Amino acid sequence: MSFVESEERIALRKAVADLGRKYGHEYYLKRAKANEHTDELWAEAGKLGYLGVNVPEEFGGGGGGIGDLAAVCEELAAAGCGLLQMVVSPAICATIIARFGTDEQKRRWLPGFADGTLRMAFAITEPDAGSNSHKLTTTAKRDGDGWILNGRKVFISCVDESQSVLVVGRTEDAKTGKLKPALFVVPTDAEGFTAHRIDMEMVSADWQFSLFLDDVRLPADALVGSEDAALAQLFAGLNPERIMATAYAVGTGRFALSKAVEYANTRTVWKAPIGSHQAVAHPLADAHVQLELAKLMGQKAAALYDAGDDMAAGESANMAKYAAGEAVVKAVDQAVHTHGGNGLTSEYGLGSLLAASRLTRIAPVSREMILNFIAQFSLGLPKSY
Amino acid sequence: MPNIVVLVKQVPDTYSERKLSDGDKTLDRDSADAVLDEINERAVEEALLIKEASEGEVTVLSVGPDRATEAIRKALSMGADKAIHVSDAALHGADVIQTAKVLAAAIGKVDGVDLVIAGNESTDGVAGAVPAILAELLGYPQLTHARKVTVEGSAIKVERETSDGITHLEANLPAVVSVGEKINEPRYPSFKGIMAAKKKPVETLTVADLGLSADEVGLASAWTQVLEASPKPPRQAGQKVADEGDGGVKVAEYLVSQKLI
Repeated sequence: MSFVESEERIALRKAVADLGRKYGHEYYLKRAKANEHTDELWAEAGKLGYLGVNVPEEFGGGGGGIGDLAAVCEELAAAGCGLLQMVVSPAICATIIARFGTDEQKRRWLPGFADGTLRMAFAITEPDAGSNSHKLTTTAKRDGDGWILNGRKVFISCVDESQSVLVVGRTEDAKTGKLKPALFVVPTDAEGFTAHRIDMEMVSADWQFSLFLDDVRLPADALVGSEDAALAQLFAGLNPERIMATAYAVGTGRFALSKAVEYANTRTVWKAPIGSHQAVAHPLADAHVQLELAKLMGQKAAALYDAGDDMAAGESANMAKYAAGEAVVKAVDQAVHTHGGNGLTSEYGLGSLLAASRLTRIAPVSREMILNFIAQFSLGLPKSY
Repeated sequence: MPNIVVLVKQVPDTYSERKLSDGDKTLDRDSADAVLDEINERAVEEALLIKEASEGEVTVLSVGPDRATEAIRKALSMGADKAIHVSDAALHGADVIQTAKVLAAAIGKVDGVDLVIAGNESTDGVAGAVPAILAELLGYPQLTHARKVTVEGSAIKVERETSDGITHLEANLPAVVSVGEKINEPRYPSFKGIMAAKKKPVETLTVADLGLSADEVGLASAWTQVLEASPKPPRQAGQKVADEGDGGVKVAEYLVSQKLI
């Protein structure tokens, strides 16, 4: 058991942090407030192979693991310019296609994930199903060799920046007539596919969408892998999502905390910098502890996942996501508070994180659903719903 | 197909507080984070650009303690092919002349060197003398403070930029070039570069391996030594100008009084 990252992982973190510093939080805020994206950063990170570190080498990727991808995600967020779609495109979509796609699907899509030129959104949440995946109503019917897809999705990130969306739908089992999940790659320019932006109150350079799928015709090979493997596919894709959400949150928390520490070290009102007062110092130290604990659990989840232990990774990934969601909210809250009135000014740029930092508590799965999972599967308590 | 040697140095990060050690007034390497000097990243970048245009091989050469390996790995992860690391406790406190002698001896270990590229000066020692001394020792022409480098066959052209202006230099290879800040923007190491760096050969040499004796190098026989050092005085409070409609004029007057305009 090692608590030290490999030399390569550390070098990767440094390289990504350097790239992040070139862009930084001011760039991110300027873009977000101008209703624009951070395309240049995505493109440059992609070209350097940072967005495809986990894609197998034979398809042009880095041949690393989800732990490497999480390190990239964390460092960019820690530089104040996180790439939200990293949580989805390379982590969920590339992972599922690399593990379950047909050879043809791998050849078609993985090279684009490797250099970031392919961006794929992921759509599971539905307005009437929430976290209840058994109530998903997006349905695929056979249409000759292909499929016809109908349904609605909500809170789907970065659809306008993506060439396609990996949609979780359901198909009818030929024998039992029961619906079972199936994953389809749907091009964003497909006929019958519409996306509406959801107005959000958080400052973000990446946007949320509602999707409408009205008789969207798909070719046979839009179905990822085999029709019966979707549950395993979801499991394979959703653990990396939680690991990446952890990394994004930990990075954001580190960014806020570093701003607070800088301010507490330099702001002097009476004789000494305000950081010398324990009322200021202790909550920041506590925020650091919570972030480090969340990061460590995220690293454990990534190590288990990369070692092929999906079950154990699932428990750790959920715990890490829970801890990171709490830690980032506290870190941002305390960073704002440390700055006093300056914490809410545009100049210091921290107020913009207040709403965004709540995201990890809610998504990709709420804090309460994680506690349900832990209560039931880790502790053996009765199922609550 | 030029065979290029790039000189790299590990220095304390300019973002951290840099100190000299209390005893012999040499650099306190533990007091600050160590990084590859930024000007060396530009030197590596220039070597890689030349290599990419006309093939060849890039060897990184560093004189420094064991931990300088990190700086060497960074250069290798950017795309250099191999490295030589001269590491020897006897080198502690070496001055620019001794360092240049060691570098010259190490360059002698590389077959058929066409070009040596260095940064014009390090951010820690700031002597800015090593490239020139090295050229003298090797008997190569020196083209220093380059802001543009062009290699054509066995000839090299350099735009040299100093506070005196721009000079156009030409020489035949082999030559020593030192580059300035404006030469290029260094690349970030790619993930593949980082993964490949660990597998690239790094030859570690001692002073004896280079045919030099320990008493030729190091603090005891150095031509220069730091005798005394005092910390930078704290910054004085600036002069405040209250703008009563004439702020611009007052600022201009201040700048004139400081002979800045």
